[in-house]
Amino acid sequence: MLTHETLGNQFNIGHICTRQQCDAGLGDKVAMRWVSPAMERTDYTFRDLEHESNRFANVLSGLGFVPGEVFFTFLPKMTEQFFSFLGTLKTQVICGTLFANFGEEALLDRLGDSRAKGIITKKHFLKKLIRIRDRLPDLKYIILVDADEHGSDGVLSYSLLMAEASKSFETPETGPETPSVLHYTSGSTGKPKGVLHHHRSIISQNFTASEVLDLKTDDIFWCTADQGWVTGTSYGIIGPWSLGVTQVHFGGGYNPEEWFSLLEREGVTVWYSAPTALRMLMRESDDLYGKFDLSHLRHIYSVGEPLNPEVIHWSRRILGRDIYDTWFQTETGAIMICNRPGLEVRPGSMGTPITGIEPGILGDDGTPLAEDQQGNLCVRVGWPSMFATYLNNESAYQSKFRDGWYYTGDTARRDADGYYWFMGRSDDVINTAGHLLSPFEVESALLEIPEITESGVIGAPDELLYEKVVAFISLHEGVIYSKELELKIRLYISNKVSSIATPQEILVLERIPKNKSGKIMRRVLKATYLGTDVGDISTLEEH
Amino acid sequence: MDTLEILNGIFRQVFDDDSLVVTRATSAKDIEEWDSLTHMNLVLAVETHFGIKVALGELRSLKNVGEMADLIARKRAK
Repeated sequence: MLTHETLGNQFNIGHICTRQQCDAGLGDKVAMRWVSPAMERTDYTFRDLEHESNRFANVLSGLGFVPGEVFFTFLPKMTEQFFSFLGTLKTQVICGTLFANFGEEALLDRLGDSRAKGIITKKHFLKKLIRIRDRLPDLKYIILVDADEHGSDGVLSYSLLMAEASKSFETPETGPETPSVLHYTSGSTGKPKGVLHHHRSIISQNFTASEVLDLKTDDIFWCTADQGWVTGTSYGIIGPWSLGVTQVHFGGGYNPEEWFSLLEREGVTVWYSAPTALRMLMRESDDLYGKFDLSHLRHIYSVGEPLNPEVIHWSRRILGRDIYDTWFQTETGAIMICNRPGLEVRPGSMGTPITGIEPGILGDDGTPLAEDQQGNLCVRVGWPSMFATYLNNESAYQSKFRDGWYYTGDTARRDADGYYWFMGRSDDVINTAGHLLSPFEVESALLEIPEITESGVIGAPDELLYEKVVAFISLHEGVIYSKELELKIRLYISNKVSSIATPQEILVLERIPKNKSGKIMRRVLKATYLGTDVGDISTLEEH
Repeated sequence: MDTLEILNGIFRQVFDDDSLVVTRATSAKDIEEWDSLTHMNLVLAVETHFGIKVALGELRSLKNVGEMADLIARKRAK
């Protein structure tokens, strides 16, 4: 297990996941079993991982990157994602990761705020960057994984750069407080915030990969999360590789037959997925699963949004196993509260806190609440993977802390046996398919569509996605809502923000309810949509 | 303009890529952004352009663009 004592002066995530594994005699062990969308397999040993990440570290150093600067990956799941992530961290450059379906507005917000100096992507995504590049003066380099030649304006070929780079790199001593990974997350107001972690986070990620995911030396682990999100980096890269565990990574999308074929063929022993995917699998015919031999599969875990009891009951019946739901956030960096082997699973519960984590259920005034009372879910500060700041937004960071507690923004209750039960969000952030989404981001993008005068966006309960995006709009005089306009709106949000931000429902109102200071009253929209009591509307703007 | 040509324009619009060229063999594996959410945009775009109604499951079961073009042709012939 990694601790401050065992790590000494070297906390570097890239180094620990590669070089340290080689030094421990695992150089020839398979680190990554890459399965292409066509289901073709390629193995990479820890030595391969070490050499490829070293090459990338040398590429960045050669381009003049220095510690503390920001580099992003903007790739679908592919091997270069992993090499570049680890290589970037080795140089002490901050590595941000971006979901491959982000549109140009989402990219502009994140690359602009972080003043990113470089990004690695594919030719296919270059068009999005070209459209915004004139507004990104700090973005000097765009590295393309599938370009054979260097282009102009700092557009470079990954293969040419890597071919010229040495496979040796001495990672500098990296202290625990050195900035490492950057993920942007959504709030209910303002632009997405850059959650910055430090290299010390590896202590929590290593510990939870061992103690919660129960990873052992001979395990074959598959985490389906995209590397654009925190689960994809904390548990799709860092935790398992810090333990020298073999990971399967699959380049294809959701496909029940392929997923189960992969679980069987690759002998996956521990599988980490998400409720939306599990609910989609639950909708398939039960006969599908009988065809596959999953006898080697020891554990299934889930993360992203609350796992409804039906899925656990389905898994017990069809797969013959529990699914362990886990809870953490981009800000916490690692699992905090969870179900796990050895703990009785109470379907629908978040489980109990892991060793060293002290959660609290507090009232709005900071008073600890009694058992079974719903309140703010907080975590006592000081765990190793606690985020270091919101980049360029220290006041927002400070606002999350009070009297030694981190306020998560989630609400929960604790029962008499110490199990925690998720109740909801204390803000308007939407959790759709495990992705937190800012209503503000979608509302702002909607207002860029000429036909729309006002917009308000809420999350509404959804059987599959947990919450779906519902947009309320009002239109300019004379504009008539039509199927063509619906298509225009959906495509605009999908392509400018992200496919996950696309409204599942669009409703036209004459006016969007706002309070007297002009703030959108989303709770009124939500109550209207759900047909529940709208509550106090004394502050509603009068027309 | 035949169905495939119209579909090519729809795919370019939905996936925001003017260089996209679809053939009868093109499937979700060939287009990076083709996921379950963009699929719903595709359904709406097909319905809007061709004036037909397509159930989500109907389009999901199709293996490639060729099968999509055949489905559209069948629906338009009714």
